[in-house]
Amino acid sequence: MNVSSAVVRVRGLVKDHGQGQSRVRAVDAVDLEVPQGQMLAVMGPSGCGKSTLLHLLGGLERPTDGEAWLAGRRIDTLSERALARLRRRSVGFVFQAFHLVEELSAAENVELPVLLAGRSRREAGCRASLLLERVGLADRARHLPSQLSGGQRQRIAIARALANDPLVVLADEPTGNLDTAATLDVLRIFEALRSAGQTLVIVTHDERVAATADRLISMRDGMFVDDTRLAGSHTRGLGGLIGLEG
Amino acid sequence: MGSIVLVVRLALADMRRHKVQAAMLMLAVTVATATMALGLSLRDVSDALYEQTRAATAGPDVVALSGDTGPAVTSALASLTNEPGVMAHHGPYRIVYADLTTRDSLSSPVVVHGFAETPGAVNRPLVTSGRWVRSGGTVLERGFATALGVGVGDHVTIAGRSYPVVGIAVTAATSVYPGAAQIGPGGGPSDYSGLAWMTRSDARTLASSHDLPVTLAVDLKLRDPAATEPFIDAHSDPTVRITFHSWQFRAERDMAILRVSQPILLVGSWLLGFLAITGVASLASGRAVEQTRRAGLLKAVGATPGLIATVLLTEYLALALAGDALGLALARLTAPAIASPTASRIGDAAGPTGLAIAAATVLAVAVAVLSTLGPTLRALRTATVTALTATAHQPRHRPRLTALSALLPTPLLLGLRLTARRPGRAVLQACSTATTVIAIVALLTLYAQPERGYGLDGSSALPNLRGEHDRQLMLAVTILLIALAVVNTLTFTWTTAMEARANMAIARTLGATPGQISAGLSTAQLLPSLPGAVIGVPLGIGLLSLFAARNAVDPPSSWLLGAVLATLLATAALTALPARLAARRPVAQTLSAETA
Amino acid sequence: MQDAVLAMLAKEPSHGYNLRVRLRQSLGPLGESMNPGQIYVTLARLEKAGLVVCERADGLPERPDRKVYALTPAGQQRVAAWLAEVGWPKPDLAEFHLKLVAAAAARLADPVELVAAQRRELLRRLREAQRAALAEPAGSGAGLLLEGVVLRLQADLRWLEACERAWSKGDDRAEGG
Repeated sequence: MNVSSAVVRVRGLVKDHGQGQSRVRAVDAVDLEVPQGQMLAVMGPSGCGKSTLLHLLGGLERPTDGEAWLAGRRIDTLSERALARLRRRSVGFVFQAFHLVEELSAAENVELPVLLAGRSRREAGCRASLLLERVGLADRARHLPSQLSGGQRQRIAIARALANDPLVVLADEPTGNLDTAATLDVLRIFEALRSAGQTLVIVTHDERVAATADRLISMRDGMFVDDTRLAGSHTRGLGGLIGLEG
Repeated sequence: MGSIVLVVRLALADMRRHKVQAAMLMLAVTVATATMALGLSLRDVSDALYEQTRAATAGPDVVALSGDTGPAVTSALASLTNEPGVMAHHGPYRIVYADLTTRDSLSSPVVVHGFAETPGAVNRPLVTSGRWVRSGGTVLERGFATALGVGVGDHVTIAGRSYPVVGIAVTAATSVYPGAAQIGPGGGPSDYSGLAWMTRSDARTLASSHDLPVTLAVDLKLRDPAATEPFIDAHSDPTVRITFHSWQFRAERDMAILRVSQPILLVGSWLLGFLAITGVASLASGRAVEQTRRAGLLKAVGATPGLIATVLLTEYLALALAGDALGLALARLTAPAIASPTASRIGDAAGPTGLAIAAATVLAVAVAVLSTLGPTLRALRTATVTALTATAHQPRHRPRLTALSALLPTPLLLGLRLTARRPGRAVLQACSTATTVIAIVALLTLYAQPERGYGLDGSSALPNLRGEHDRQLMLAVTILLIALAVVNTLTFTWTTAMEARANMAIARTLGATPGQISAGLSTAQLLPSLPGAVIGVPLGIGLLSLFAARNAVDPPSSWLLGAVLATLLATAALTALPARLAARRPVAQTLSAETA
Repeated sequence: MQDAVLAMLAKEPSHGYNLRVRLRQSLGPLGESMNPGQIYVTLARLEKAGLVVCERADGLPERPDRKVYALTPAGQQRVAAWLAEVGWPKPDLAEFHLKLVAAAAARLADPVELVAAQRRELLRRLREAQRAALAEPAGSGAGLLLEGVVLRLQADLRWLEACERAWSKGDDRAEGG
């Protein structure tokens, strides 16, 4: 894997939470490269540091030690302001709790990053309707988040994450608050993004979400314990799953 | 470009979501800025009204008054009219000191000016209704007529003889009612009196028939109206007692009636501003968690700290400035009435001066910034990831207070624990109560002052307009302060109830009744109110002593005690409603809402 | 398989080809790997057991398959019995468990490694089933079946996680169990 094709790259990344006695190492000397177009899932029990890793990759938190690059640009040394600019242009976050602005409509939430990037209101409007169409919620543009179901809210949040065509979408337990049907809706959208060549990193504890990825990393106590390529491997075919050949 | 749209959109959306808070902030700022602008504009408005009256009535630049009569005085006054620098003059004319009685038996001292039937070049009183003097009829000064309730066509009795009122007029040559007698008979001190005009011969007849005291006056127009001081200095003659009143002195005297009004309004506006800050700060702190979370999610989608601070402040500043504009407009509308409690002056007030506008705007911005600074800084400083998962910040545990409260009856126990949870809010509640009590003490003190009425021999059949005006202003300011304090108490209780709802729900699962919970919530507000009310009394008296006259009287202590008790009772009653509403919420609903 | 074919004949007598089409419809993508001859082998066995009868059908001369199968009374009884049955396939976890114990005891292999390998395999299967499920339109019968497969695999994966935790703590503990 050559460096230039890696959208996300970290070396010896360390993150400690707390101070003194209560100091906890959330991420412990992690190396990672995510090439363009890969859908990576990170799994592990709660508290293993997977969410912290995601925050570090997207510049929401700064590492205690180590280096991080996004599309070849060093990000661990950036100022708070520069990180904010980086997030708005290059990173799309999707959270378990959606984190929509409650008093803005669905479309306005999607327009938010576009406006933040300094583009005009019209451009923002166009972009929002396009993205809402893509997540199948064109008819809900004027609804407030409180008028939408959890699954719909998460799809709005995904549309918002895509608003500025980010280099990478970082999703933190995106289906953690959703039922099966809504989970499938979200996974379908991720699948479509993956086919379109979008780089995605998903942190999850749900095996079925992880299983849609090309690559799966398992984390324990801030370290990677397994790194499996799921894509392209040979299996016995679907029939084998229910024992029809028998 | 886009970020401006964003800031406006977010601020508007937030206002729409929190309409009550937005309205409260705006109203509080409106009231405070209106009061402040009024207080600061009083002098200018008063000056402007005098100036307009002076222009409309060809007001003299200098009035020379003599306590004595006689040929020497007459010639001394007459010689003034020939002095260089004097462009025009009116008089000398008689000023007769008499009593006036209306048909409703209202009696008042009056000074009667004997004027020509055709007004001269200087001191032409402006007839506002009826017509100018003619033989046998009198014209009353408008402030005096208004106080007496007399109009054109009525009859008044002056020194025992009845005269028809043929007209009402204003003049800039004398002070506003009741300062018409500029010097007393013989140059001595004068009573509160009104002003009436008669023809020269009627005035002479009046004086001679009853042997009434008379003085003489002459109105002078100078070539340089600003140079009254040098003129007066040049013509002060120790041998003849002549008193000179310049037009500047006259304008200054118009402010005398407003001497107490100005501090009432200015100090009132500070207190109102203070209450606005405490109220809005409490509301804002109630929303701090929400604000922090919102700041976190805006940061996550790439908003810079500067933009977030702009969003948070824009909303409050916009509301405060809107309130400011409204307050200034209100001040503009009410200024003539407040700056001119008598009807002795005419004209319109110009808008508030630049200084008043600037001061009111500073007050408005201060309310907005001070009340949101804490939550805004907290929202900015909190790390993005922490902000996204923000919950109400955990109050410090105060073991000794909690242990002590365990010995008390349930409502007091709950109340004490709630107070201990949020000491900052308890201080705000205490300050809010103290402010209210300060205003009430001031109001009571004003009512306790003995004062001389404007009627004959100080009879209060004709009320003391200045005292009346002060009391009315103080009452208005007190009502506004109480209104803000009421809103504050309601929001304090509600915010406390909302923040403590999880704990209260747990207390209820442990067997506390809704009654005990609402009593506890009320107690939590009453506990800090008690010291607030008690401190308010000496603070109020102390504050008043800075402005009060030397012979001011303290209100009876029974009044003060009553005020403190009434304030506390009102607080208890006010907290009962939100506390009851909060306590009635079903436990299960509250507990499940917390975990969601 | 036999019981399912019998039950499908309960509605009406049918050609073997028809049965195959109906089976594949119900199974969706899971039925794609089914051997085309399998249905005829099954039908032959059932005929031999006296549960179905075979008649030659008329009017379809162009079809090589002109046999129509129908249930016999015995076949009908067997269908009724099958429907009432509450038996459930038992997942064979004991074998894998014993594999881990044996490997650990004889120091043949690291059980944690075995678990990881197994986990990777199950994840690949899950990925396949999950993708097939996502491709199904909402509300399809085959989608429901795939959902079942996905949930089964998820349960197995969680058990593997438990195995991994237990075995990585210490070699003896899980064995002593």
